[in-house]
Amino acid sequence: MKLDPSIIARIQFAFTVSFHIIFPTMSIGLAFFLAVIEALWLKTQKSVYLEIYKFWLSIFAMGFGIGVVTGIVLSFEFGLGFARFAQMAGPAIGPLIALEVLTAFFLEAGFLGIMLFGLHRVGPKLHFFATCMVAIGTLISASWILSANSWMQTPDGVAIHDGHLTVLSWRHVLVNPSWLYRLPHMLTAAYLTASFMVAGVGAWYLLKGKHQHFARTTLALGTAFGTVLIAGQVFIGDILYGTMLKYQPSKMQAAEGFWEKQSQSPAPYYWFIIPDQNNQRNRFQLGIPYLGSIWLTHSLDGRVEGLRNTPRDLQPRMGMVFYAFRIMYGLAMVMFAAGLASLWLRFRGKLFSSRWFLWILVFMTPSGIIATLAGWYVAETGRQPWVIYGILRTVDAISPVPAKALLSTLIAFVCVYAVFITAFLVFAFRIIRRGPGEVPPHAEASGSVKNAFRPYVLDSPERLVNSSITQRS
Amino acid sequence: MGNGNQLHRLQSMTAALVGLFFFNAIIGVFGLRLAIAGLAAFVLGAVAVSVAFPVQGAES
Repeated sequence: MKLDPSIIARIQFAFTVSFHIIFPTMSIGLAFFLAVIEALWLKTQKSVYLEIYKFWLSIFAMGFGIGVVTGIVLSFEFGLGFARFAQMAGPAIGPLIALEVLTAFFLEAGFLGIMLFGLHRVGPKLHFFATCMVAIGTLISASWILSANSWMQTPDGVAIHDGHLTVLSWRHVLVNPSWLYRLPHMLTAAYLTASFMVAGVGAWYLLKGKHQHFARTTLALGTAFGTVLIAGQVFIGDILYGTMLKYQPSKMQAAEGFWEKQSQSPAPYYWFIIPDQNNQRNRFQLGIPYLGSIWLTHSLDGRVEGLRNTPRDLQPRMGMVFYAFRIMYGLAMVMFAAGLASLWLRFRGKLFSSRWFLWILVFMTPSGIIATLAGWYVAETGRQPWVIYGILRTVDAISPVPAKALLSTLIAFVCVYAVFITAFLVFAFRIIRRGPGEVPPHAEASGSVKNAFRPYVLDSPERLVNSSITQRS
Repeated sequence: MGNGNQLHRLQSMTAALVGLFFFNAIIGVFGLRLAIAGLAAFVLGAVAVSVAFPVQGAES
């Protein structure tokens, strides 16, 4: 069997970047959540906030570490699998990635140690400052990366002469047409991810009848944040939809599942299709009448443009974009419904006792991560066949590397990342199973190498509360 | 008991209908101005409910 290097390079990048994005999404969201929790602790002095802080700090630390390591791999992959892309796009996106390191990484690196290990070594206000700096660092990091990726989606501020790219305006490269909407969309996705994660863990403890005070507080906070954030996310998503329809119509045409140049009027909203790309039609389609016109054209009888408006050789694969979009959008609606239900149950005083709702929240714990991944699949697969939209095709961006070399590195990445995700899940579930405020015997320094690799919630809450009280007195 | 269940269902349906209206208002179906107004109303409503009805046993 003859291996196609362009396919293997794309699978490799898709695998590594899909794995990577899980962790920054968690880190960005949890860093903000931790900053809020520490502020509440400083303001109220209630020990439950310190318990929450320390519990999620452990999970944040693991996710942050894996996120940094897997992110570095991506930079190297530009050279490994996409050297022609790196050569061409380097003048525009190279400085953006370098600036991410100089600004965000340096800021995070400077304060992460204080955040993780300084709770009873520095004053509480300095520690809070460190937490805020790490949270701001994750935000700055996301800004640079989203700027680089958005430039690939909607390139601006450059000129091309003889295949070489020259930057004409850094302002336009940085603030390209989609960045202003994609950045808040991604940040809100990260904050939503954290909100549903903490709410889900709180719901799990309530169902098990454990750690009631901790669980009630995290559940109340998670659902309150999630409810407010999902409304904003829907609004931002709709504006982004309009922007991408203007700059990348083929992506949105594929996302809606229509092939005809103009759909019927009124247009249905498809939830299930079996697309036939070769014959440019759907073999089967199932949708809700009128809803396509209402949601996509904001009118009762509007028509929706189909993928045949884009020349065949410039079309993305409809199936992938369509279903990724449905997963993202479907989960957003479920989050919206869960938010409304939480408000209603809060109003009725039954937020902690409605077991059906607690189970829903438990199942929704990874909903933010799944929705974010699906969103990125829409963004990246919908941009195909371009790697830089309208400038460089993906097949022309591949390195002149033998397919076997790419395959061997892909296998290596799969093996190493399998270890990463297994370790993360094992340790995270162990921390969750153990619960807040319970310190295992091996948490104390013993000099044992074996013990050094065991996870634990940093220090005991009693000791920390006592320590902070001592510091203040 | 029966009346209580019926009332609960009616309340749930009303909440779902109000939610559907806000969802569509927020995605701009009724125009940008109403989208912004819907978003603001929803967020203010959510914050108001969260603050006015602090759940028993939680610290929020």
